[in-house]
Amino acid sequence: MATRNELEVKFISRMLSRLVGEMNAEVCDQCGKCSSACPVSKEIEGFNPRQLIAKVSTGRLNGLLKEDAIWTCTTCLKCRERCPEEISPYDVILILRNLAYRAGYSYPKGYDDFIEGVKESGYVSKPQTVKTRDGGKMSREDMGLPEVAGPEDMGRFRGIVEGIIEAGKSG
Amino acid sequence: MKPVMVIGGGVAGIQAALDLADRGLTVHLVEKDPSIGGVMAQLDKTLPTMDCSICILAPKMIECFRHPNITIHTQSRVKEVAGGAGNFDVKVLKEPRSVDETKCTGCGLCTQKCPTKVRNDWQEGLTDRKAVYIMFPQAVPLTATIDRDHCLYFQKGVCQLCSKVCPAGAIDYEQKPEELNLNVSSIIVATGFQEYDPTELKEYGYSRFKDVLTAMEFERLVCASGPTGGHLNRPSDSKLAHRVAFVQCVGSRTHKKGYPYCSSVCCMYATKEAVLIKEHDPTAEVNVFYMDLKVFGKGFQQFVDRAKSHYGVVYVRGRPGEIRMNPLTRDLTVWYEDTVTGDVSSMEADLVVLCTTMISRPENKELARALGLELDEWGFFKPLNPLTNPVETGMPGVFLCGCSHGPRDIPESVAEASGAAACAAEVSRRFA
Amino acid sequence: MKYALYPGCTVQTDQFGYEASVRETLPNLGVELVDMRGASCCGFPALSSISKVGWHYLSARNLAIAEKMGLAMLPLCNGCHLSFIETMHFLEEDLELRSIINSHLEKEGLMYEGNAKVVHLLEVLHDQVGVDRIRGQVVKPLKGLKIASHPGCHAIRPSDLQKVDDPEDPRKLDDLIKALGAETFDYPEKIDCCGSQLAVASGRTTLKIAGDKLKAVKSYGFEALVTTCPFCFKMYDGRQRAIKGALKDDSLDLPVFYYTQLLGLALGSSPDRLGLQMNMSPVDSIVERITE
Repeated sequence: MATRNELEVKFISRMLSRLVGEMNAEVCDQCGKCSSACPVSKEIEGFNPRQLIAKVSTGRLNGLLKEDAIWTCTTCLKCRERCPEEISPYDVILILRNLAYRAGYSYPKGYDDFIEGVKESGYVSKPQTVKTRDGGKMSREDMGLPEVAGPEDMGRFRGIVEGIIEAGKSG
Repeated sequence: MKPVMVIGGGVAGIQAALDLADRGLTVHLVEKDPSIGGVMAQLDKTLPTMDCSICILAPKMIECFRHPNITIHTQSRVKEVAGGAGNFDVKVLKEPRSVDETKCTGCGLCTQKCPTKVRNDWQEGLTDRKAVYIMFPQAVPLTATIDRDHCLYFQKGVCQLCSKVCPAGAIDYEQKPEELNLNVSSIIVATGFQEYDPTELKEYGYSRFKDVLTAMEFERLVCASGPTGGHLNRPSDSKLAHRVAFVQCVGSRTHKKGYPYCSSVCCMYATKEAVLIKEHDPTAEVNVFYMDLKVFGKGFQQFVDRAKSHYGVVYVRGRPGEIRMNPLTRDLTVWYEDTVTGDVSSMEADLVVLCTTMISRPENKELARALGLELDEWGFFKPLNPLTNPVETGMPGVFLCGCSHGPRDIPESVAEASGAAACAAEVSRRFA
Repeated sequence: MKYALYPGCTVQTDQFGYEASVRETLPNLGVELVDMRGASCCGFPALSSISKVGWHYLSARNLAIAEKMGLAMLPLCNGCHLSFIETMHFLEEDLELRSIINSHLEKEGLMYEGNAKVVHLLEVLHDQVGVDRIRGQVVKPLKGLKIASHPGCHAIRPSDLQKVDDPEDPRKLDDLIKALGAETFDYPEKIDCCGSQLAVASGRTTLKIAGDKLKAVKSYGFEALVTTCPFCFKMYDGRQRAIKGALKDDSLDLPVFYYTQLLGLALGSSPDRLGLQMNMSPVDSIVERITE
């Protein structure tokens, strides 16, 4: 019987095959509806969902995984909404990011902070004391809001999260 | 020899009817609208010669009307068909005009006096008509008809102004639907197409933004017999359109909101319309946003080359992602990527023309059932074999031509009409 | 109308002004909110780019908790909302993924059975409570204030997975604005992204994307912008000063509110019960106009 770890590695490798075939990338006509709707394409020359799909559908993945471009999608989902062939560059980009992380290529360090936060408290960060507009301070307690409680067994939860991320890196 | 029935009075039906009549056969030309002519009568110019469309068509329409061998049945639909090749019994239902066709002179006085305004479908909704109306100035027959759904007399029992002013006494409110039983040797289906409604493609703003038009609406706008006398005054504020964007493949070549097929004619008619704008206004900014340029016909590539080099029409390879309207100026912004250079940019436009797909007519379903014909998954009639028997159907004695079986242009429709006419004539001869 | 309240990371940690305004207003409209025990981050965007398994696991455990409570979940963040919708979709389609996720969940005594329900705040206010009831309870109408609606990407797209509102022509937030006596109208940039998800990778472009929209909103004569998502709000409100700097436009001042803050004012609540102290954009004059 396959171990949990093997299942996850299999799932991750399946993501690679899903990039073509299941995700329709090979039927892309290169029409440009996605790129002309994309808010990032309008600003950054190196980011273009149409070109990204072209690279994916022709198997030119390796270079793609090393590019900064795959991290500059704002997940607005207009590409997925508008594509006439029902391709979702957004979904493809998320998978590319997963694969890039797994392959050990560079990624924005902010994600490390998110993960540390989740492992620490169950949430990306702990409740803060916030500045008010008139220069004062405000906390959840000041506002009469209930305390934030995360997962009841933080140790167990932390172990699960760590295990999943480790499984994502190996194989 | 027995007569032949042609269903549909557009250019294909007209051509088939004339071919048959000229070789001595009698023809029943059945048309659901008050006039024959079809879509070609609504176009401004034809391509690639840029002839005035109605100027070419009207003589043929009149020939049909005058030909001793052709009987035109307008406001008529085929209801039931029995029998087989050589011996079809066809039940045709003729809706009443409420106007005596033998008395009406087409003077149009009734239309002038009628108080009720109705959306003018022939002018693609750009203007209104009256409840009693003549379909268009070159209508054949040039006879008025009353739209009973909107006529005050038929709806509320009042008015009757038309009958009071008609100098020929042609108004006849008592007219009833007529059922005709016709026995024919063969039938030609030439029912044509309709335009895809791009409202569901909300990113393009059709029906939200008044200055985003379909191709047919644009044809009426630019035509001298249209609501603006052929001047490019845009619908929202009548501002003269100086910057026009054409968006290709609207509702076609898609697996979402539309149809997967290519509509065949849009690249060329967009070029034609772009050239028309440049002829009206050589300094106009005209961009055609395309995916591929389908220029397979005779003279087509050269026509596009001329549009580019001589007229200065700009072609951009990129399907626009979205069209927006500035609420203050009503100007439109078309976002696109020039996929050749990779440049994502926008065009400010006064008017946008959506080159919409040809889709099948809803009437095809009932007609297919009556005739025992098969429709394809998009509602077009199926030929017996697209390669070896392209104008025949699965029902012997029934033939197809024109857009009834898919998108095609006028030259192809006319050629098929002659083909179908030849096949139909052969059936008549065989069963004589 | 009873929902499991899921504020999410951003709201709980620093956007709790939003949370306060929701807890203040919804019960007045007949909506009961129940806190969830043992909830955690939904995984978006924290883990979605790094580990899809981790992402769906985190969303699924919250869905499983709500399932156990027998209540539909009401997230306060557009991002969390879409995260749950996407997770439910993937776990429906991919049984292998579902079994991987459940094998992790069972360590905490949880299980995702596929019966979870998630609603968006716009659905609760517009479809469940209704604009008529809201209008009927307004005691301080917003007196024709021109307010721009920003529903946010993850509330309206993708339309094949969720139907909160029309993806190209969303109207629910507009209707809710009008229910308060304010004015609004359609504008071209309404469905444009705030750009916040780009911040982790490219701060400069984010500011430009957000700033372009603020500029446009101002150019149409709107006096304020309203949203239902803490990411969008943080971008337009918290980072408005940085946007002004990046665009070198010091006149780019625009009051930004959470819808429930304006709702609260219109229903007669006092501003400090609605977290308005924590809005960094220049909201004071608008608040005064409404409450005078």
